[in-house]
Amino acid sequence: MSQDQTTYRPEGLTANRTLLTISIILSIVMMAPVAWLVGLSIKDNKELMLGTESVFAFPYTLVNYLNILYSSQAFGWFFNSLVVAVGQTIGVLVLSSLAGYAFARLEFPFRRTIFVIVLFGLAVPEQAVIIARHQMFNWFGLHNSYLGLILPDLSSAFGVFLMTQFFRAIPREIDEAALLDNASPLRIFWKVLLPLTLPAQATLGIFTFLHAWNDYWWPLISATKKEMFTLTIGIASSQTNFAQSEGLGFLSAQAVFASLPVLIVYVIFQRHIVTAVSGGAVK
Amino acid sequence: MSASIEITNVTKRYGALTVLDDVSLSIEAGEFVVFLGPSGCGKSTLLRMIAGLEDVTAGTIAVGGERVDTLPPGKRGVAMVFQSYALYPHMTVAQNMSFGLENIGMAKAEIGRRVEQAAATLEIAHLLDRKPAKLSGGQRQRVAIGRAIVKEPKAFLFDEPLSNLDAALRGRTRLELAQLHARLGSTMIFVTHDQVEAMTLADRIVIMHDRKIEQIGTPMEIYQRPASRFVAGFVGSPAMNFVPVKGVNENGGTLRIETCGLGDVAAAIRLPARFSPEGGCLGIRAEDVTVLPAGEAGIPLKADVVERLGDRTLIYGQLADGTKLAAETDGRSEARSGDTLQIALDTSALHLFDAAGIAHHAGGD
Repeated sequence: MSQDQTTYRPEGLTANRTLLTISIILSIVMMAPVAWLVGLSIKDNKELMLGTESVFAFPYTLVNYLNILYSSQAFGWFFNSLVVAVGQTIGVLVLSSLAGYAFARLEFPFRRTIFVIVLFGLAVPEQAVIIARHQMFNWFGLHNSYLGLILPDLSSAFGVFLMTQFFRAIPREIDEAALLDNASPLRIFWKVLLPLTLPAQATLGIFTFLHAWNDYWWPLISATKKEMFTLTIGIASSQTNFAQSEGLGFLSAQAVFASLPVLIVYVIFQRHIVTAVSGGAVK
Repeated sequence: MSASIEITNVTKRYGALTVLDDVSLSIEAGEFVVFLGPSGCGKSTLLRMIAGLEDVTAGTIAVGGERVDTLPPGKRGVAMVFQSYALYPHMTVAQNMSFGLENIGMAKAEIGRRVEQAAATLEIAHLLDRKPAKLSGGQRQRVAIGRAIVKEPKAFLFDEPLSNLDAALRGRTRLELAQLHARLGSTMIFVTHDQVEAMTLADRIVIMHDRKIEQIGTPMEIYQRPASRFVAGFVGSPAMNFVPVKGVNENGGTLRIETCGLGDVAAAIRLPARFSPEGGCLGIRAEDVTVLPAGEAGIPLKADVVERLGDRTLIYGQLADGTKLAAETDGRSEARSGDTLQIALDTSALHLFDAAGIAHHAGGD
């Protein structure tokens, strides 16, 4: 083979470089506010009162983070958020898996109709039902409780849809092989099919956790007592008087602190999130 | 352990759609029976009904003398190997094989013994800790068979298990299945649309067509004495030649058959009293059509396509009236497309089909 002969490359080098440049610029744009926030969080509040340009200059300090440890309610709110997010995630996974299995595999009257009704849930915005929900939770005395914060989002239309589609994608021959292997329906669900839905469970779990962690709207309505605030509500309530007392650096540190679990979840489950967002187009 | 299977007047309907119509069949213990037929003929449905994966609309199924169509799949004493193998992807090979035994509460030591024994038989002992995704198609196939073997079932059911393998592996696995049957002596039912698999594996072939059993017989019975035009055309490659018949005259035990393309053909075929040639046809296999040496007179056949298969040559051509006909000759034939060849028929291998497709064979029915 001669030296100057080159093999065909499907993607041109120029196109690749252009895409890379655009990606880097967009990443900088996206990361700038986060970097700004982190910068603010490690600056002294008094310095920031004079102007935020000081974020670019030494000295830096971790005092704001220490203040979270010693003086703020952020830990309590963090715990509330954790209980709500984990509770909601477990609940959604259990309910969506069971419902998905039922819609995908079991025969029962009005199965299709009920599934369509569930899918309507995707189209109904939370704001449309918030007053009715508030009234209902009021009657049952569920406001300012973990149950009150967890229950509303357990009926996840998206989760049911996702799990139904995933169960449907599992070849029926797997169930049939298990039937011939003398497995009961419950054992088939638990030992054979459920483990096969782990990628979908991971996706749904991550989305549910992130949604629950970042949720602002319902906790704002349901949690009116400060000790029942979630992080989002707690931090927002602090922001109303940051200029008077707590300071920009401390608030930024709280925001970074609040973002940590989300970041950790993202780093650990990055692969599943990418798969979920790309819709499994590339295996 | 092997058991007989008795299928009696079995019908399967999905609403108004009938997919199996009053099918009856007896399979002896230890027999290797192949259900052969085109797609949609109901062969897989019948197998799944024996397995218990489809319910029976009417009729009964018995395994080893015990009625099983009222029992759930796991209680029927049969094991099935699926076309896609249906291995549990999250379990190792050993777990795949032991899952069914764990479900019936078998002691771990006995499970281990059976899994090891089956793995040794199938030469997959070194794969026991792997998951199906790490196995080749052939290895998965063996695991699927192993999963069936460990159950020591009364009968094995195979639903087109070779169709996902490449040609070379398919041939090898076919041979191994035959050896496995010889070794285990179990009753086996094998569904396929591949006639080579059917011919090579079966003690008896059940030809299915249009919701019914068309013929049951040994491979050679099916090939040499097909019961109908459908069977004659379905089994054999190339398919049997069919030449339209114009009239039939019987003269002293010999039949003179007037055909469109082959002229008058004499054959020793015994016909029923009320046989009507209208709509009938004469059937002859390509290997029973002889290509005569150059210079000898026979029936002219204009070669359209010549297929050289090494050991033999297939010639696809047209008779004088345009009727298509295939002939087989030896691998050294020098025939070319466009040549007009002279052919002769082996009249002892002729088949006459009436308008309903019922066959009458040379040498008697």
